[in-house]
Amino acid sequence: MRQFILSRDTFHILVALADGERHGYSIMQEIGERTGGAVRLSPSTLYSAIKRLLEEGLIEELAERPDPAHDDERRRYYRLTKAGRRAAADEAKHLEKLLADARSAGLLPRRT
Amino acid sequence: MPAPAVWLYRACLRLYPAEFREEYGRELTLVLDDRLRDSSSALERLVSCLHAIAALPFAAAAEHGRVLARDLRYALRLVRREPAMTAAAVFVSALGIGTITLIFALANGLLLRPLPYPSADRLVAVDEYSPVDASEHGDIALANAMDVRARSRLLEDVGIYDTGDATLLAADGAEQVPAAVVTDGAMRALGVQPVLGRLFTSAETRPNGPRVAIISDDLFRRRFGGDPATIGKPLDTLNASYTIVGVMPASFHFPALAEAWFPLQSDPATTPRTDYFLSAVARMKPGVSVEQADAEMQALMHQIHAEHPPDNGWVGRVRPLRAVFSADYRAGIFALMAAAVLLLAIACGNVANLLLLRASVRRGEIAVRTALGASRRRLLRQLITEGLLLGAAGGALGILLAVVGTPAVVALVPIDLPRWLDFSIDARVLAFTIAVSLATSLAFAVLPALASIGSAMGDALKDAGRGAAPARGQRRLRNAVVIAELAVSMTLLAGASLASRSFLAVRLQPLGYDTASVLSMNIGRSVRRYPDGAASRALLDRIKDAVAALPGTQSVAFTSGVPLGDSHWGRLYTIEGRPRPLEQMTFVNHVVVTPDYFRTVGVPLRQGRAFIDADYGATTLVISRGFAERNFPAGDALGKRIRFGPPQNKEPWYTIVGIVDDARHDVLKGDDRDTLYLPYSDDLVPGAMLVRTAAKPELMVRSILSSVHAVDRDIAVSHVRTLEQLVDRNAWRDRLIAVLFVGFAAIAMLLAAAGLYAVLSYAISLQTHEIGVRMALGASAYGVRATVVRQATALALVGLGIGVPIAALLAWLWRGELYRISPADPVTFVVAPLAFLFVGAAAAYLPARRATRVNPIVALRHD
Repeated sequence: MRQFILSRDTFHILVALADGERHGYSIMQEIGERTGGAVRLSPSTLYSAIKRLLEEGLIEELAERPDPAHDDERRRYYRLTKAGRRAAADEAKHLEKLLADARSAGLLPRRT
Repeated sequence: MPAPAVWLYRACLRLYPAEFREEYGRELTLVLDDRLRDSSSALERLVSCLHAIAALPFAAAAEHGRVLARDLRYALRLVRREPAMTAAAVFVSALGIGTITLIFALANGLLLRPLPYPSADRLVAVDEYSPVDASEHGDIALANAMDVRARSRLLEDVGIYDTGDATLLAADGAEQVPAAVVTDGAMRALGVQPVLGRLFTSAETRPNGPRVAIISDDLFRRRFGGDPATIGKPLDTLNASYTIVGVMPASFHFPALAEAWFPLQSDPATTPRTDYFLSAVARMKPGVSVEQADAEMQALMHQIHAEHPPDNGWVGRVRPLRAVFSADYRAGIFALMAAAVLLLAIACGNVANLLLLRASVRRGEIAVRTALGASRRRLLRQLITEGLLLGAAGGALGILLAVVGTPAVVALVPIDLPRWLDFSIDARVLAFTIAVSLATSLAFAVLPALASIGSAMGDALKDAGRGAAPARGQRRLRNAVVIAELAVSMTLLAGASLASRSFLAVRLQPLGYDTASVLSMNIGRSVRRYPDGAASRALLDRIKDAVAALPGTQSVAFTSGVPLGDSHWGRLYTIEGRPRPLEQMTFVNHVVVTPDYFRTVGVPLRQGRAFIDADYGATTLVISRGFAERNFPAGDALGKRIRFGPPQNKEPWYTIVGIVDDARHDVLKGDDRDTLYLPYSDDLVPGAMLVRTAAKPELMVRSILSSVHAVDRDIAVSHVRTLEQLVDRNAWRDRLIAVLFVGFAAIAMLLAAAGLYAVLSYAISLQTHEIGVRMALGASAYGVRATVVRQATALALVGLGIGVPIAALLAWLWRGELYRISPADPVTFVVAPLAFLFVGAAAAYLPARRATRVNPIVALRHD
């Protein structure tokens, strides 16, 4: 099975899509909310990442439709593919392991 | 809403590759609109805009990188699929780019690289020139130069110098090294400090100053082992012992070759202001332009001359040192550069035709990709990437060719080039090559790319499977490229012919004497042991007897200047009874010879007598025929008297006793001065020996050297050359240009012939069916061949029709460099086109033969 090396931005996008399909701006909003505004993707970074994720088959594009929360403009929606979900999960596990290592090395307070 | 920021954001979207922009442009705009709408304050909106804009160029660059990487991968796949075609294209472009890089590396070294002195752009050469004789320039009289140094307000420092040789004594025999005498201002003007010791002081460059010397880093390491204690040690030469006061850095070379510098200690008060053998270098003050310095110099020199009558009217001049040093090479380099550009154009044409050919083969593929949705622009980009890849490979190989080729070309130069010349491939040459490679790849990629896309869109899909005839436009384009190649190669061929004919005119012109079997060499004697007068006469006699006694020696003579050698001595003269004002006086070659000179060199006596032993010290004179005819048209030259030097010197009168044929003495090309010969005397001791030999003169060098050293082992013999070699040394620029031109023309013809061959072959391969039908219907092999030859002839004739007028125009522009050859040289413009047509016929022959071998049955079954 192919291992994807996910950048921080890419990982955020995959996490944002984990609970359902979203359009570009909605992905940006979701990331902003999750990180409390700490991660702010620019439109160009977002769509470069989306293009690559599409090419790698980690996400897929759905038919265009308007977002009821916004105006009447039709937007492209994206959702995770199976491979994308697996890649995000792998990355999450990897990060969990890394976090545990950091704790046992005394970099972070141990959980009680 | 921060409208300008949104506008800027939208403009920045243009940075993306078209493909990406088409796909995501709308979304990118929408997302920003959404964000701006959700922002609560104007400040937040502005921040959002700026944030979006800042990231965009990097993202766009990354997208371009991805497209490029994909195109390159695709192009490399093609390379693997068509290795022969790719190799041919890379090789041909490398040939073109390599040639032009090589010539540019030469131009860079000769014309462009700054001289190796600090702020070299402020260095100028100061000289005087004769307003009546264009060939008299380049030097400055000592006293005038000293006055200039004292008075100039725009020049920081002025240095006066002369080049020569120094004979260094050592336990293992004398060594002759190039040397220079300089005033203290020279090195200061150049702005170079010694690595050890010091420069000359002004006290050291006065008459009867101390005997001191500065040596080069090379000499310092070679003879003194790089020992810092060398300062203060003696440098023993044939004539005196000098104390070494300084060692110059390894990078210091001035003027051309010198390895040792001695202070110029002549007395300006006693050297006439008409003696021109010194050069001057100066540094302009910061901010001063050459024009300003030149204007000042003209005025100063005018003033100086006026103060010291009689005034010879010579004009003071300041020129950039770089331009003076490279003046001899400029025209030749430009001609070669033009030739290299033409060659590159042909190489481009060849590669373009190869790619056109491939494009027509790939029409099917391109049509399919177009049908699958690839945009026209996307395809164009892909094809240009392929071209750039070829160009880059060609450029890299071309640089390699230039790196290998430059030393090989420099090795063709028979003289010691100035040490400061540097032909290495530097950043400027690399930048040039990269620019040329880019330009050529675009040139040879865009045309085929446009052609193939244009035709592919239209009609290729429907007959993609068949090897059908390409669009007429494409065939026309290919023919046009071949015609252009043929025209350019015709131009180069004419150039090569003119360059060769001009060189031959230089090399084979009658010189007035027999260069075969004469050896020349400088004889360096110690003036302490052999001062001028009886001692030196006795020495020359002993050397002459020793060399004359050798088997194979026919005659031996001494002269103050070997014909076309390094030492030139021009003097003013006055014919008795015909005084002329100083500013109208001209120079003659002033040659001091021993009696056997004319016999040794082979200059025939026309009237009167040659010198005899009794002429030693006599005021007798032998003149050249041209001088006699110009000055004594009545034929009454014998017995007339001539005096040398400016009138106020009141030098002795010399009586003409003989007239010899004109013999080129000073310069090989152009007008030579007239030559007057004087007998040697106590004051005029010739320093060069000439030996006429029965066999090849080179074979006698060793025995001549040992017989000279048998007379005195401390005699320094140097510059041992045959007269033939001296002619070659004078003609080397013409020879080099001719050799390179012929090489270029040969490559050009080969490439053009290959282009013609390829186009004809391809045309025939497409006509196989038609030819088959014709032969089946009874057409003769001759008829088929005639068709092919007709095609080839038509192409060649059109190429000729375009090439000949261009060649004629270029020849006319180049006429100043042609020696005794008309730019409309009939040989060139008859022979070159014939040779051209012959090569064209040869290129057509193989395809024509193949055409007649078409088997009608196979050809018809083909469909």
